Order: sequence, then C-alpha cells, then structure tokens
Amino acid sequence: MEITTERNGETLIAKAEGRVDGANARDFQNALETEIDEKDRLVLLDLEQLTYISSAGLRVILLIAKALRRQGASFAVCSLSDTLGEVFEVSGFDKIIPIHSSPSDALAAFSN
Amino acid sequence: MDDSPQTYKILVVDDEPDLEPLMLQRMRRDIRSGKYTFVFAHNGVEALEKLNEDEDIDMVLSDINMPQMDGLTLLQQIPEVDPNIRSVIISAYGDMQNIRTAMNRGAFDFVTKPLDFDDLKVTIARTLRHLVEWREALSSRDKLVALQNELDVASKMQQSILPTEFPQGEAFDLFGSMEPARNVGGDFFDVLTLDNDHIGLAIADVSDKGVPAALFMMSSRTLLKGAAIGLDEPGKVLAEVNDLLNEDNEAEMFVTMLYATYDPRTGTLTYANGGHNTPVVFHADGSSTELPLTGGIALGLLPDFEYEQNSIELAPGDTVVFYTDGVTEAMNSVEEEFGMERLHGVFNGESPEDAQQANQEVFEAVHTFAGDTPQSDDVTCLTLRRREV
Repeated sequence: MEITTERNGETLIAKAEGRVDGANARDFQNALETEIDEKDRLVLLDLEQLTYISSAGLRVILLIAKALRRQGASFAVCSLSDTLGEVFEVSGFDKIIPIHSSPSDALAAFSN
Repeated sequence: MDDSPQTYKILVVDDEPDLEPLMLQRMRRDIRSGKYTFVFAHNGVEALEKLNEDEDIDMVLSDINMPQMDGLTLLQQIPEVDPNIRSVIISAYGDMQNIRTAMNRGAFDFVTKPLDFDDLKVTIARTLRHLVEWREALSSRDKLVALQNELDVASKMQQSILPTEFPQGEAFDLFGSMEPARNVGGDFFDVLTLDNDHIGLAIADVSDKGVPAALFMMSSRTLLKGAAIGLDEPGKVLAEVNDLLNEDNEAEMFVTMLYATYDPRTGTLTYANGGHNTPVVFHADGSSTELPLTGGIALGLLPDFEYEQNSIELAPGDTVVFYTDGVTEAMNSVEEEFGMERLHGVFNGESPEDAQQANQEVFEAVHTFAGDTPQSDDVTCLTLRRREV
C-alpha cells in the first residue's frame, strides 16, 4: 500500500495504491492522518490504483470521514474500480460516503 | 525509550582503600555532569548487599582478589540479583587464567592494573552502551510478547463464541465453521433455535482485529442473540443491533452481518443483510443463484437505519452457503482472488447432499486455490440445506 498526495490550498487529493488489509490498515490510517491538515476543507481519496480493500481498510475510511466531518471539511472517494465499487455497495458505504467517477467530477461537485 | 540523559550507577568493588578517592577524582567530570554516580564496596559480600539494596545499579567494576568473597565468585552471584547488570573485571596485568575464568563467568569485559583511566572510561562507556541496547531489545521483546498475548486472548474469545453443535431436523441440516487468519480477524457466525421452531442464522465480519475488535464481536453477538429472541423479523433484528452498536462506538468499528430465519416446515428463508456478502443458493439441478440484495449497510455506521428484508423459499435439495469475504477474497500466489465465479462452481455443477460435507468442500476449494499463500482474513462458512423428504 502506498499513498501519494497532491495539495492545492485547502484541498488534498490522496491517491492510494495497492492493497489495504488487516495487516496494513493502521499504516494506511497513519499515512492519511499525517497528510491531512486541520485547515483542509476538502479531502479526496483517489482509489483508482487500489486493488483491494478489506473491512479494516473501510473502517479507516470511515474514521477519516468522521474526523473530517468534525472539522467541518468535506470528504469523498473517487475512481473506484468495479470490484471496489461493489465492496462499497455491499457494505453500504456508498450510502454514507460520496463516491465520484473521477477527481474532476468530485472537485466539480464540491465547488457547486 | 526515554531519550533524556540518564545517570548510570556503577558499583566499584575493591579491597584497596585508595581506589575510591582516586576513582571519584578521575571521574569527577562525568560525576559532575550527571553521567555517572559511583557506589563502593570492599569485597564480594558487601557488593552483593549493595546490589540487593539498590536496584538502580547498572554496572559492576570489580577486582578479583578480595577477602571474604573474591571477584570471580561475585561474578557468579550477580545474575541471581539481576541478570541484566553488566560486569567488568579488574585483573592483574597478564593474568590470563583469571581473565578467562571471569569472561566464562559472564564478565562483559576486563581492564588491567595499574588502571589506565582513559581506557577505563572507554570500557565503561562501551559496557553501558551495550546495556542500553540490551534493555531496548528486552523491551521490544516484551512488547512483542504482550502483542502476541493480546492476539491470543482475541483469538480465544473468537473461538469461544462459535457454535460447535448444530440443530438438525428431518427437513434440514446445518453446519458451520471458521478458520482464523494468522492475524486474528473478526468473523463469527451463530445458530439459534427460536421459539416458533424457526432457526436463526447469523454470519458476520467485524472491521478490525485484536482485543477491541474481539470485544466488539462479543457485544455484536450478544446483542444479536437478544434481538433475535425478542423480534421475529430479521430486518428489525438488524435495526436494533445497529442502534445499540451505534450508541457507544467511539472506535468507529462496524460489523457486516447477515441475519436470516428459516422455517423448516415451509422452507422459507427470510433474511436481512447489513452490508454482508450475498449468500449463494445451490439448487438441486446443479445451478446456483445469489440471494437478492436488500440494500442494508454494515452495523455500527448509521443509527436509525431501516433494514429491508426479503424472503425466498428453498426447494427440497437446495443448499444455501453463507460466507465471509475471507472465502471470496482468498488469495493465491499470483494475487488472484477466489471470487464469486469459483464459489458458484465450488460443487462442480452437482448438488450437495449434506451440509457438513458441502461446508467442507468450500474450505477445500479455498485451500486448493490458495495453496501455501498465507491468508490475511478469517475464512468462515455456514451451510443450510433443505432435505429432500
């Protein structure tokens, strides 16, 4: 699992790559928490290169989403593969976390 | 480890009264700066008394020839007081025999008389550096042991809540089992005999591992049991468990759970799905279908969520396989997932004739597929079959 980030003012785009499972979910969480600034207004998690996520990884996404909600920031995920989309749908995460097809769609939705 | 500069306490053991003032004088800088403090003893017996009285002594610097108890005997006794104290022996120049004996008895190093204080300083520093590294290694080992113990506790909790006996009837049979991942996961399943002779079946996967997840698993299972006994409708059961799990969930854990009730008389299976993998029904003609989705979300995420439920009728000879993602996401050596397609093909187009055997065949298929690749998630499977009466 690897995280690369791109920052534009108060918007953070984090790209996750590889697998997130029970063994590295804590690293995933630490990596994201390190990158997120308390002044951030929007955090977008780009999952295009993520090949697998277990429920422990979904929990991290939930933790991040709730922490950002507390600081009044928006959070979304984008570019999910079909498999990943299914994971989000089956677990019901699509009902609590906004999902967009691409980073530009997500940014457009936010600026509206 | 604490990074603040530490004062090391060194016990000097020598019967010559001159050594004490000499040592304090030559080491005064290090004493003044708080690097070292010295305590003194004049023979082995006195040294042991000091060691017993004062737990802060890090290192011993001892002469060999002394009255009452010599340095070589002292060396043998020190580990009984504290095995982590390091000793340096002071020997006569060229006395290889005693030096060999001292080293064999666990001395860390030796210096020779007459004392060269520059050399002694280097030796003390080296000994203490070794001691610090040793302590760090010990503390990481202890942490590792603690972690292992925690995982063992979690694993025991997980195993203890799984049913080992299954209700059987003329019209149905039932079997379930769980294979834990090397890192404890959070799967469980449960089977309940309800008042109206219905059978309650649950399968679940908690989103984390370790003791907190195991506790969450225990409470999920207890809440489920309570709700299942009090409420007939699976959708209401999940809604109640979900609300209760949301009440005090600071760790933001969640559990995917599918709960179903089965009426053996009619073959009706009524289920609600809280974000869990869709069970597969294997029909008597060898075909297979998936239980239609009910659109529920994992429990513990959102309070007041209303869970839809759905009913299907199992035909005689139908087998339902409930499973966790440990089955479909089992990995082989080239990182392929077992997947839904392999699950559908698990009985090679034949209809299972026995729940236990069917359940085992799923595990065998996963094992054959995964080979020696270690699995990161628990593998759990619960199988219900309507008998052909």
